[in-house]
Amino acid sequence: MTKQHASRQILLVALAVVTLLTLAASIRYGAIDFRVAEITRALASLLPGNAAPTLDQRIFLELRLPRAILCLLVGASLGIGGTLMQALFRNPIVEPGLVGTSSGAAFGSALFFVLGGVLHIGTSLWSLPIAACVGGVISTYLVFLLARSREDGRASIVMLLLTGLAVNALFMSAIGFLSYIARDPQARSITFWSLGTLSGASWKAVEIVAISTIVGALIALRYAKQLNALMIGEEEATYLGVNVNRLKWIILSVNVVIVAVATAFTGVISFVGLVVPHILRMMGGADNRFLIAGSALTGATLLTLADLIARLAVRPAELPIGIVTSAVGVPVFIFLLRRRQYVF
Amino acid sequence: MVISPIYNEIIWALGAQDSVVGIDLSTTYPPEVKNVQTVGYHRALSAEGILSLHPTAVIHDNNIGPPQVVQQLQQLNIPLKTFNAKNDSFDGTKALIREMGAYFHKEARAEELCNTLDTQRAASLEKVKQYTDHPRVAVIHFGRASNVYLVVGKGGGGDGGGVSQMIELAGGQMAVENRGMQRMESPEIIAQANPDVILLTDYGYDRLGGSVDQIKALPGVATSNAARNNRIYRIEENVLNYFGPRSGENIAKVAAIIHQK
Repeated sequence: MTKQHASRQILLVALAVVTLLTLAASIRYGAIDFRVAEITRALASLLPGNAAPTLDQRIFLELRLPRAILCLLVGASLGIGGTLMQALFRNPIVEPGLVGTSSGAAFGSALFFVLGGVLHIGTSLWSLPIAACVGGVISTYLVFLLARSREDGRASIVMLLLTGLAVNALFMSAIGFLSYIARDPQARSITFWSLGTLSGASWKAVEIVAISTIVGALIALRYAKQLNALMIGEEEATYLGVNVNRLKWIILSVNVVIVAVATAFTGVISFVGLVVPHILRMMGGADNRFLIAGSALTGATLLTLADLIARLAVRPAELPIGIVTSAVGVPVFIFLLRRRQYVF
Repeated sequence: MVISPIYNEIIWALGAQDSVVGIDLSTTYPPEVKNVQTVGYHRALSAEGILSLHPTAVIHDNNIGPPQVVQQLQQLNIPLKTFNAKNDSFDGTKALIREMGAYFHKEARAEELCNTLDTQRAASLEKVKQYTDHPRVAVIHFGRASNVYLVVGKGGGGDGGGVSQMIELAGGQMAVENRGMQRMESPEIIAQANPDVILLTDYGYDRLGGSVDQIKALPGVATSNAARNNRIYRIEENVLNYFGPRSGENIAKVAAIIHQK
């Protein structure tokens, strides 16, 4: 047991190193390549007494750096969300959007794109993220509400899963209707938003996503042991002293907040939340303490790599990141599944 | 950096293309624009991508996105420029050519372009008079962003209803009465309109391999007069969809296609 524990510690340290290396690459390469000396000069220009930054330095400080950091945070959020959902539902095909969060967020953004023009509320930088975040929270709440049993007010896992599927379908149909009635430019905005992009990153977005990701990760780690108990079964967990109903609400709430906030700033990014927990389980087993920490690092690494590809593949233009995460993630994932005799 | 097909067409016509460092994906005319770096789709731009080409200004026609990227450019004090005149008619187009001529210091060339536009327009309209028929034309435009075929209705298509105006100037009439563009979701739209001629814009036409049989498979097309008499034609998007320096001669081009030989 201790030996396994030590090897997981080493694995986590290794993951952290890989994350830092990809972060370095993400800062350095893009539509514009920044040399290390330029990066140092740009950072130095922030210190008092130094000359004001040049345009290139400002591009680095105001576009590149927040984007790289936002990418880490969003990747970590999606990774943690996926791990939490798979642990809670004890089901390997679950991803963070399952309880309605991402379809709700997409609906909120679609509503903003279509109605924003009519009601002239499109002026503020914050309208879109707020619309998406509210949409995500409302749809998730709807799932909770509809999944609750009439007798004792508890939501069984199966009920949550199926209600989530149903509500997702409902919101997808609503998005379909909105893009159908939308004028052409609006319909295009909806399409691109549902494929995700990090090109809108700003320091303000970094601050907000950082708070939700860090607080969410800390709460998730606190309940990791209880999630381990839940893996054996709901009844067994209760015998071990876990308040299962309370655990469900807490984990679901954490997932909603981190996924809705991340999605609000980047649009829907598929596949990361699904694949990250699996990669980790193949490497280091099913202890949720390890999985949560590891999935934050792996999610951050994978999304950063995907963003690098999105930026470099057709530069100076850019691919929507959702295309990259699915196109690159799926073959790798299937390869891993087939190579290992993998049991959830 | 110029993100607008019509602005770019006018810039090349003015001979001011040397100052263009980047264009968008939808700019396809003149063919020489291929030599200029594109920064991608005009509603999925990236600030860094634009800035990597070191533009001193970004000229656009208010059809760019996503909104955060516009905000980022503003924060970095990159000058954003939109021209006031709109190419929604011949007069509007001339105003736009003159405004852009002044901006790029090519006033004389701008006057020349305006004169050519007027002369060619008059000549084209003279040619149109020789046709006695008034074919009912349906225009099917391929929306590249969402990969859908769109039926262009009266008053619709491109800036200020460019398609509709061009068809009418060329002596045809719009077969589909609904205003604006709509998706070809229901076969009834085309079937009911029963056009004599169907024009398919280049992208949508080439996508079907240029085969008329494939085009007839589009919803509602097969039963129309146009399909029965094989009057389904390809047309360049940039000839039909918006007004520009070539619109004068384009009227004659469109007329030659849609009228009975």
